[in-house]
Amino acid sequence: MASVHESLYFNPMMTNGVVHANVFGIKDWVTPYKIAVLVLLNEMGRTGEGAVSLMERRRLNQLLLPLLQGPDITLSKLYKLIEESCPQLANSVQIRIKLMAEGELKDMEQFFDDLSDSFSGTEPEVHKTSVVGLFLRHMILAYSKLSFSQVFKLYTALQQYFQNGEKKTVEDADMELTNRDEGERKMEKEELDVSIREEEVSCSGPLSQKQAEFFLSQQASLLKNDETKALTPASLQKELNNLLKFNPDFAEAHYLSYLNNLRVQDVFSSTHSLLHYFDRLILTGAESKSNGEEGYGRSLRYAALNLAALHCRFGHYQQAELALQEAIRIAQESNDHVCLQHCLSWLYVLGQKRSDSYVLLEHSVKKAVHFGLPYLASLGIQSLVQQRAFAGKTANKLMDALKDSDLLHWKHSLSELIDISIAQKTAIWRLYGRSTMALQQAQMLLSMNSLESVNSGVQQNNTESFAVALCHLAELHAEQGCFAAASEVLKHLKERFPPNSQHAQLWMLCDQKIQFDRAMNDGKYHLADSLVTGITALNSIEGVYRKAVVLQAQNQMSEAHKLLQKLLIHCQKIRNTEMVISVLLSVAELYWRSSSPTIALPVLLQALALSKEYRLQYLASETVLNLAFAQLILGIPEQALSLLHMAIEPILADGAVLDKGRAMFLVAKCQVASAASYDPLKKAEVLEAAVENLNEAKNYFAKVDCKEQIRDVVYFQARLYHTLGKTQERNRCAMLFRQLHQELPFHGVPLINHL
Amino acid sequence: MPGLSTSSGFSNLREIKKQLLLIAGLTRERGLLHSSKWSAELAFSLPALPLAELQPPPPITEEDAQDMDAYTLAKAYFDVKEYDRAAHFLHGCNSKKAYFLYMYSRYLSGEKKKDDETVDSLGPLEKGQVKNEALRELRVELSKKHQARELDGFGLYLYGVVLRKLDLVKEAIDVFVEATHVLPLHWGAWLELCNLITDKEMLKFLSLPDTWMKEFFLAHIYTELQLIEEALQKYQNLIDVGFSKSSYIVSQIAVAYHNIRDIDKALSIFNELRKQDPYRIENMDTFSNLLYVRSMKSELSYLAHNLCEIDKYRVETCCVIGNYYSLRSQHEKAALYFQRALKLNPRYLGAWTLMGHEYMEMKNTSAAIQAYRHAIEVNKRDYRAWYGLGQTYEILKMPFYCLYYYRRAHQLRPNDSRMLVALGECYEKLNQLVEAKKCYWRAYAVGDVEKMALVKLAKLHEQLTESEQAAQCYIKYIQDIYSCGEIVEHLEESTAFRYLAQYYFKCKLWDEASTCAQKCCAFNDTREEGKALLRQILQLRNQGETPSTEMPAPFFLPASLSANNTPTRRVSPLNLSSVTP
Repeated sequence: MASVHESLYFNPMMTNGVVHANVFGIKDWVTPYKIAVLVLLNEMGRTGEGAVSLMERRRLNQLLLPLLQGPDITLSKLYKLIEESCPQLANSVQIRIKLMAEGELKDMEQFFDDLSDSFSGTEPEVHKTSVVGLFLRHMILAYSKLSFSQVFKLYTALQQYFQNGEKKTVEDADMELTNRDEGERKMEKEELDVSIREEEVSCSGPLSQKQAEFFLSQQASLLKNDETKALTPASLQKELNNLLKFNPDFAEAHYLSYLNNLRVQDVFSSTHSLLHYFDRLILTGAESKSNGEEGYGRSLRYAALNLAALHCRFGHYQQAELALQEAIRIAQESNDHVCLQHCLSWLYVLGQKRSDSYVLLEHSVKKAVHFGLPYLASLGIQSLVQQRAFAGKTANKLMDALKDSDLLHWKHSLSELIDISIAQKTAIWRLYGRSTMALQQAQMLLSMNSLESVNSGVQQNNTESFAVALCHLAELHAEQGCFAAASEVLKHLKERFPPNSQHAQLWMLCDQKIQFDRAMNDGKYHLADSLVTGITALNSIEGVYRKAVVLQAQNQMSEAHKLLQKLLIHCQKIRNTEMVISVLLSVAELYWRSSSPTIALPVLLQALALSKEYRLQYLASETVLNLAFAQLILGIPEQALSLLHMAIEPILADGAVLDKGRAMFLVAKCQVASAASYDPLKKAEVLEAAVENLNEAKNYFAKVDCKEQIRDVVYFQARLYHTLGKTQERNRCAMLFRQLHQELPFHGVPLINHL
Repeated sequence: MPGLSTSSGFSNLREIKKQLLLIAGLTRERGLLHSSKWSAELAFSLPALPLAELQPPPPITEEDAQDMDAYTLAKAYFDVKEYDRAAHFLHGCNSKKAYFLYMYSRYLSGEKKKDDETVDSLGPLEKGQVKNEALRELRVELSKKHQARELDGFGLYLYGVVLRKLDLVKEAIDVFVEATHVLPLHWGAWLELCNLITDKEMLKFLSLPDTWMKEFFLAHIYTELQLIEEALQKYQNLIDVGFSKSSYIVSQIAVAYHNIRDIDKALSIFNELRKQDPYRIENMDTFSNLLYVRSMKSELSYLAHNLCEIDKYRVETCCVIGNYYSLRSQHEKAALYFQRALKLNPRYLGAWTLMGHEYMEMKNTSAAIQAYRHAIEVNKRDYRAWYGLGQTYEILKMPFYCLYYYRRAHQLRPNDSRMLVALGECYEKLNQLVEAKKCYWRAYAVGDVEKMALVKLAKLHEQLTESEQAAQCYIKYIQDIYSCGEIVEHLEESTAFRYLAQYYFKCKLWDEASTCAQKCCAFNDTREEGKALLRQILQLRNQGETPSTEMPAPFFLPASLSANNTPTRRVSPLNLSSVTP
């Protein structure tokens, strides 16, 4: 019964029970806006060389492409755009549209008849196969296919379009003459308009297929390369819904909607969109008989593969594996090696989450090279390098591998992979504790012009590799005590990757780590403690570690110990060697702080062995520092001193400023301790040297505002000066110490027990 | 208006009949044909009134008299579908009747133009954009009148329809509710309300007038919302009150039975209905579905012929013919007829799904997927389409992929065992046996239609060497079959007995084992095994153990249902794998 009001229309576009969006193969059709653009083109052809200056013509030419590709805009906007590039042309376009709209149907007919003239003649104004030529021909074709009623509708639409434009311009100018009657009528009109507007906010008019395709590809590439420039998730979804409302068969929109949902981490909608996309795609695959049955099966395989990828992204590894198995099975059945290759890579990604076997990966790389899939091959090499780096392979091999894959990238201009490769080198150098090299690589990536910049006019893309490189840069600067520079980098990161974008987590973690370190240096443990929660949210292992560090600093040894033991077991299980060593160091520190340095020794030796095995030089030298300190406590300062001589070089070359300070401080302590047995003359000499070293250490500490350490150094210096009999210097140091001591809370840890 | 206030009970059927006759006349005068038809049908089912009780037509007011000429002319134009012309002559009329007809003509003219335009819109993408241009103006005018409280029940109804067409659902619901308060007798307003209410919660918060019409509305909406028990209860009440002859109610009951898959009842009611009202076309598609399910070829063919003679350009007719061809395995022709149904009404949901089924039969999976997708687009809550999509992907051997679709179907029909069994099969294929077990058990617990869940569950247990549970399941299965008393050939019965025989044999329960083995001998495929087992049992018994003298009653007969083994039909929440998007 309700169907009285339902439309009972016969749909001519339906064959085989399926509504085809595009049964005539027309991708574009004539709209009033297009007519306006046609008029503009026509005018440009007419005016010839002389009338428009070269500069204006260039601006016009630049304007044309967006006009041809973009969505329809209102007439007044169009005028404005033309006016900006060439005012005189805008005027003549306006006049011609006015004539056409205010004339009769015949004028429009005539206009289209004359359009094809631009191709004729010995030297045609427009080349048939140029962009403009194609557009003109499309329009002429689309126009000639219109039936009478459609032509009439187009003409009324044109009139409407023109009147709307006029109204706008008139309103803009001035409109103050109102008598009462007119005011009333206007009121009524406005009332109508209000209701119109609130509807039209939701639908800004349909896009033609071409415009829609352009819109989708543009947004998709922006999502990939520079998320901030793309529409916000909500507005993009609105556009897509709008698009789908007018053309439910436009499958690609579903895929974009899937990507968009991924951005906001919405499992349900993204699964829904993805499956919907493939359901639609399966039809088009079957329709285009070019591949025959092949095309249809193909989309099935990739559907399963994409589902696997989706589950993997949301961390549902078991589901992902099931989907992947399905994809592999179908691909195997149809002998699709390329698809299998993709599956293999994903299999590795999934396997990585659990074990670190790289047999799969090696196999994948070999196969990918064999089937000529450079992208997949070098992506495989990169994962392999990453994996091997964690497994402690030597740097030269890794760099060799990266260099080889770089050759591939440059050959195939895979700019994305080049970026990743450089970012990876930065990370590897940092892992091995070579801050200078890391710094250099990061700078290289940042100052390099992307290959794609040639195409899209964007200077740099906001991809993950840039975020990674910038984060490293910030941390490196912070390590060297250049906090202003670090925060500058972070500010830049915040601008380029706003907090809700995909890669924002990277810099958030980095930012909090830096803040944490500063708070710890400053001795503001409560502040550091408050940062721990934030870090834990982004990276649980790091968070637990930092929590333990804070507890240790606050002298809550047993809690810290418990946490560290748990963390140690977990990290050993997941083979996070870097963290294992850090934890071991913390444990050792815990031991000698609780006055049992003998137990600390085996722990430290274990850490040393591990860091040597995995070539983590930075951690190795820190371990040596600890070891030397333990020896100092145990009363063998000579041994400690010789050990320190071994480690001090890499620390001074690549270490963080804090470590440099600690190393120098320790050297001085050892010197003093070993000088006890010397004869007075030599002793004085050694003590002088120690004072020098302490000065150096003080400078380093000052760089990172380690007030607590400075206090200790000053105290020590004062004692030395006292021994050396330099009263003036002693008093100066003592005063400094007193100042600092009043400023800082006293934690009750004796001086000697600090590294 | 006089005589239009309605009582809440059914005590005075004569009064109700009078009211129905009155409203039938009123709606007819305003061109609301379907409401008029409904009221007249219902009035017809009540006993006739004596002459003395017949109501005189309502008195003609001054305003009506003024507009009489214009109205008469316009109504004639309206009847021949010249809406613009009708509206032109009604312009400026003041009486409510003329005003309604004026607005309604304008609305229908807009609708008609919209349909015509759709055929030659400028481009394919503009197709969705074709709008009824008149709607906006109608809305503005009607809202002014509405604010001034000048609209009568019919006017409110039209205002609601306009709002609904503009997708302003919330406002539309409010207006329709108001319309039912002002003029409770107008069935059209109730029906529109039915289409706008999507769940039980919404229904709860409506403040509806307390009249006997509300009962009809509630029964109807319960059917729509698949709350079949409640719906049947309401309809039964209506019949008890005295509407037993109403073909509307009878057909609704039949549809309700169809929805809960009580096929026999539904069939008998439909047969009855066809005897009463042989030229009825409405709901005959549902009837044909039932005939199809029962493979009643000759009846279906008769129905198809009959309907074709009545009116072959009706959606229902096309659907019946499609079903007919489908039953004859002429799937191309069936698909053709479903397509025709869709051409007649593209929003006719059932045809999309049925067409999907046909394409599946033709092994044209891609077309099937398309058809199902269209069905989902028209109505997201169509569980058959989701289920069909799942089946399609299952045929394409993508068990993981189809899980999503089955889950959707399951969400929509949580208590339908077919989806659960399908889900279980998929999990089984994926080797997720724990999940599969959950599905099968749940399918059994919600009342298994196909009686396969238990066997599958048993086989799973067998696979996992959980012999105890497997045996339990087989026992329950056999009990189930015997208690049903169906003589339908159950293929798995022999399997069950064979397993049980071996199970008892292993447990050294010779009596039970031998009973089962004897049962095995009754089936062809297990006869040899049964005999062999019997021999073995005999041997073992003779070797040492004294046979028990008393033969216990066969354990599988319902009489001996061991109390502790009966499955409690308590349904625990189905907690499938962590991710169920």
